[in-house]
Amino acid sequence: MALLDALPSPQMAWRQWRPNSVLVVLLSVMLVALWLFDVVSVSPNRIVSGQGAGLVEAMGWLGALLVSGVTITLMLLSLQPGRQNYQVALVGVCLLLLLMPFGLIVASDRLVSSDMPQARLNMGMAYWLMLSLLLLCWIELRLRLALPRRWTVLMLLGVALVWWLCAMWALEALALGQEFRARNDEFWRALRQHITLVSVSVAISIGLGLSLAMLMRRYANFQKVAFGVLNFLQTIPSIALFGLMLGPLAWLAAQWPLLSRLGVSGIGWAPALLALVAYSLLPMVRNTYIALEQVSPETLEAARGMGMRNSQRFWQVRLPLALPVLLEGIRITSVQAIGLTAVAALIGAGGLGAFIFQGLGQAAMDMVLLGALPILILALIADAGLGALSDILRPKNTVRPGDAQ
Amino acid sequence: MIELAHVTKRFDDAVAVDDISLHIAKGKFCALVGTSGCGKSTTLRMINRLIEHSEGDILLDGQPIAAYDPVKLRRRIGYVIQHTGLFPHWTVARNIGLVPRLLKWSAAEVQAKVDELMGLLGLPKDEFAHKYPHQLSGGQAQRVGVARALAADPDILLMDEPFGALDPITREKLQDELARLQAKMHKTVVFVTHDMDEALRLADHLVVMREGRIVQQGTPLALLQHPQDSFVESLLGGLERGLKQAALTRVKDHMAPMGPTLPAQSRIPATFSLRQGLSMMLRDHTDRLTVVDQHDVPVGELTLRKIVKEAQPEQGKARES
Repeated sequence: MALLDALPSPQMAWRQWRPNSVLVVLLSVMLVALWLFDVVSVSPNRIVSGQGAGLVEAMGWLGALLVSGVTITLMLLSLQPGRQNYQVALVGVCLLLLLMPFGLIVASDRLVSSDMPQARLNMGMAYWLMLSLLLLCWIELRLRLALPRRWTVLMLLGVALVWWLCAMWALEALALGQEFRARNDEFWRALRQHITLVSVSVAISIGLGLSLAMLMRRYANFQKVAFGVLNFLQTIPSIALFGLMLGPLAWLAAQWPLLSRLGVSGIGWAPALLALVAYSLLPMVRNTYIALEQVSPETLEAARGMGMRNSQRFWQVRLPLALPVLLEGIRITSVQAIGLTAVAALIGAGGLGAFIFQGLGQAAMDMVLLGALPILILALIADAGLGALSDILRPKNTVRPGDAQ
Repeated sequence: MIELAHVTKRFDDAVAVDDISLHIAKGKFCALVGTSGCGKSTTLRMINRLIEHSEGDILLDGQPIAAYDPVKLRRRIGYVIQHTGLFPHWTVARNIGLVPRLLKWSAAEVQAKVDELMGLLGLPKDEFAHKYPHQLSGGQAQRVGVARALAADPDILLMDEPFGALDPITREKLQDELARLQAKMHKTVVFVTHDMDEALRLADHLVVMREGRIVQQGTPLALLQHPQDSFVESLLGGLERGLKQAALTRVKDHMAPMGPTLPAQSRIPATFSLRQGLSMMLRDHTDRLTVVDQHDVPVGELTLRKIVKEAQPEQGKARES
């Protein structure tokens, strides 16, 4: 038996051959989808549903073979994983992501005739699948290569820039672009409203969260009650909470004219802000509390022994050491608030959610996308930006002294 | 000068420190030893009011410590703890300059003091000033801890098992350096440890504690020669006591002039401890060693017969020399 084990056998060779199954599966699904489903569709105007077009129809044989060729190459690379192959594959994935808007340009050239000014090009199922699968591949590669977050943010920004430029200059016919051009001013106003609502509510919840967390550290009883209330708030469905605000706020505004002159009423920004703050508090308080508690007691004891006053200890030691975890809380809260603000449009608070609900009402999917895509992008930017900030602050802080020996 | 008179500390119902009295003269090195939970750390932390004592008086230079503002009191007293307690988000230089900055020294003064201390503790400035604590070895981190405690020139230094987490070699090296520093600076040091060898090696005054009380106190030699009870004796190493006592004595104090016979092969420097001399005899299978000075010139000889004869209780003024 021992002798057999020692001999090089085909089985051993097989065991060393470990393809990256994640990438292989993702890429095969993508390849199949590209050939089976519609890549784009063309509709004569906004409401009429479109006529689908497959890969060959949209891109021509040359384009179809190019896309398939790159995909197959990527699959071959992921059969033999290794750092170098992963790097090449990452370049390939980025290349495909960059080429995708150009594919749309080619498709609009081939499919949309200039005598139909109302005609619009929609991205089809295969196109969306390809986009999401490529992003998944990209995440897998990023993890395998252990790329720092800063790099990945830069790469995504680069890809987004190319997409943006293509959409602005060369994609007259793209439905999303047409929706955007028709509502240019409205879009920017909604985006501003959205960002303002999110940042104000996150700012308030940072302030409130910090104070609540500090109170909790001082009074153990208060901690239980507060977490109970916050947990309860979190379980109320968002639409219900927005609805619950209507009555009390309308009453308040009626009682005090000053409030209504400030813009407080049953609908609009005031209930939206209150609800957003209510939802943001739990993750904020929980993370702030944990962040402040996890600071090593030895370090704090040393600070006391050196003769630091309580305020000096808090601002110079506890808070800076809590900062990475605290930022993590702000990140979670912001991403959650960006999504929730979409629902706030229902009670007239404006924001990008307005496009989503209008679009749903008019059965105009492009308009829904005009609201949904920027929300997605905002969330990604907030996530990546705050995550990177937390990473930058972390390395110096996490390892405790004396552990190095 | 530190004076504790009938000091008691109670935590709720439990008595942690029970009616202890202790006098530590200025410039002396006092070690508190005992098993875990005997109240030695509590005693130490009552001196800088990290823990407030329940009864009795603690006097600092004749003033009761209750009269001081605790924060100002702590800034006057150097404090070193086992896990260094360095601030992980600050560089070495910033950590060392903490107390001077709290005392509002000017930036130039702080910088000068930090440079001086890094030199004193063998931490080359160019290499270490900008490192963070997690980039240091345990020994280096504790050097920084000691430097931080010394930064505001305190008269008093409290050390709570400062070398307890270090490996034996690093620990010994830091003990040597602490002894060297103390010989130069003459701080009043209160040092908590459960390592009896460490205490014997460093202390002028040894305090043995058990269950919150002081069992015995005195010079290391006095305790070695006359342990009060079996607890102190076992803490001092039981049968090893003879060797521990030899470790406190220098070779030159037991040296005889060169005899008429040929000098022995094995040589030992006069400044080594008697314990090292005995160990060398065992190793080299001899009862005779040639004692040499720092230039390796023979100055006398050490014989087993003389050592054994001289191992009388009254011998041992050696420490003072």
